[in-house]
Amino acid sequence: MANHWALIGVVIIVVGITLKLRTTLVVMAAALATGLVAGLPLFSHEGFFQGIPLLTKPGQTGIVNTLGKAFADNRLMTLFIITLPAVGLSERFGLQEQSAKLIRGIKTATVGRLQIIYQLFRVLHGALGIRLNGHPSFVRPLVFPMSLGAAEKGSEFKLQPATVERIKAANAAAENYGNFYGQNLSPVQAGILLVYGVMNGLGFAVGVWDLVKFTLPVVVASILFAAVQFWLLDRWLNREAAR
Amino acid sequence: MIEKLFTLDVVYALTGIVLFIFAAMTFMDKSNPRRFGSGMFWLLLGVIFAFGSWMPYWLTGVLVLAMVALDGLGRVTRGNVGEPASEQDVREPDVRAPFGNQIFVPVIAIPVVTFFFAILFRQLGMDANRGALVGLGFGGLAAMVIALGLTRAGFKTLMNEGRRLNEAMGAVNILPQLLASLGVIFTAAKVGDLIAGGIQSVIPGNNLFLLVLANCLGMALFTIVMGNSFAAFPVIATGVLVPLIIQPFGVNPAMAAIITLTAGSSGTLMTPMAANFNIVPAALLNLRDQYGVIKFQLPYALTIWAFHVLLLWLLIKIS
Repeated sequence: MANHWALIGVVIIVVGITLKLRTTLVVMAAALATGLVAGLPLFSHEGFFQGIPLLTKPGQTGIVNTLGKAFADNRLMTLFIITLPAVGLSERFGLQEQSAKLIRGIKTATVGRLQIIYQLFRVLHGALGIRLNGHPSFVRPLVFPMSLGAAEKGSEFKLQPATVERIKAANAAAENYGNFYGQNLSPVQAGILLVYGVMNGLGFAVGVWDLVKFTLPVVVASILFAAVQFWLLDRWLNREAAR
Repeated sequence: MIEKLFTLDVVYALTGIVLFIFAAMTFMDKSNPRRFGSGMFWLLLGVIFAFGSWMPYWLTGVLVLAMVALDGLGRVTRGNVGEPASEQDVREPDVRAPFGNQIFVPVIAIPVVTFFFAILFRQLGMDANRGALVGLGFGGLAAMVIALGLTRAGFKTLMNEGRRLNEAMGAVNILPQLLASLGVIFTAAKVGDLIAGGIQSVIPGNNLFLLVLANCLGMALFTIVMGNSFAAFPVIATGVLVPLIIQPFGVNPAMAAIITLTAGSSGTLMTPMAANFNIVPAALLNLRDQYGVIKFQLPYALTIWAFHVLLLWLLIKIS
């Protein structure tokens, strides 16, 4: 029987996020607490801390070692830092202004239509088997300023901060919708390979193309639901502009 | 040659160098009230990036603890680097965009180089996803060179602009890596078995609709906790989907499995634990509300989650 105290980490996360405590501290506290109540030692027995009682236990990997390995293995998640200098310099020389200008020239462009087009563009990436994080490479430098340009077209006045806030959230959402549901359209993507591996491991001989076939209804629904939400966003923006 | 130069370790080392430069500039930034703590934070992250593949794991772990302590004590702040233009109003005169459409070239170079490497790696029989990551690194580097050539700005300006974006995001930057580490600890502590066991003990064994509902709910909830549907899927598939739905009802395993996976994606849209999708973008776009992206996604996520329940139930019924 598993140890129910292992859920302490989940409790710490929920309480910490609800109280708006500093997220890095909350996550670290949850990791340490979960590891300790599960009886894991702080450090591995082998190597630097060899044989120190309390800190190590024979034959068990330490919490700090696990943390360090997982943090190093997941550096790819923070790799976008290397794109920041070029994006920042381009912004200094008018990247956002030029993006907005370009979109203002297109008469039929609206914020909502721009989001759904971007989402379809990301679904296409997924189907081509290309996995990338679009937030730093597309959303911040291009989609966001283009959306601002589209929103400002109809209005003589400066956009309200609440309006800009909502546009930013929609930009990030369009990226996530396209990325999450579109990536399963390719049999070489991680999601399909994971399901394939797990199901075969459990003794079910599923094929990768079968998995792709059965994800189609979800992909279609993901685009339709988003189209409705972005259409509603356009209506909201029009009402805001008319006020 | 290609195998030696175009590796993730080289890209990590380059990112480490960028972080060292950011750190040095922060140490000298008189406008930052906490420049020592902030500089140390970026220096430590640079060390982990540059040497993480060679340092012993316990040392990396201790450095991560130090970074969290610096942030926890409120020592990681931003200097006054200055925003280029008021982002709330982009109707500025043309003076603001002296290069016209040419200013897109450096930024578009990033995805172009990324795709190029992904395709090149696939052609060479290597992992295309790894190629995309390596390409992102070299794409960032190529974009820096192009941006410098186009604007004739100095290297210091380039790095200062990068530092402006980086410090605006702050310690949120390392959340995805921290959460991934938490996921590994959760797995080691068998949190998943507890959740699957909990679901098994509350649902009746014969009502197909309730079983489908519990399966999709368990997948979404566990994804919300782990921040990652890929971590949740093996647990739910082994503990709920296969023993309670696929085997007793003779359901097509491919259909049930892939729908269960994307039921988890609805959970990813709702959770701050998926920081790289929901929290980091909020910081990257300077949203005032760090949960603004999640709040926007919430009605969509609930709708598509409900769609998953109905779809899976209907497809089992008609087959």
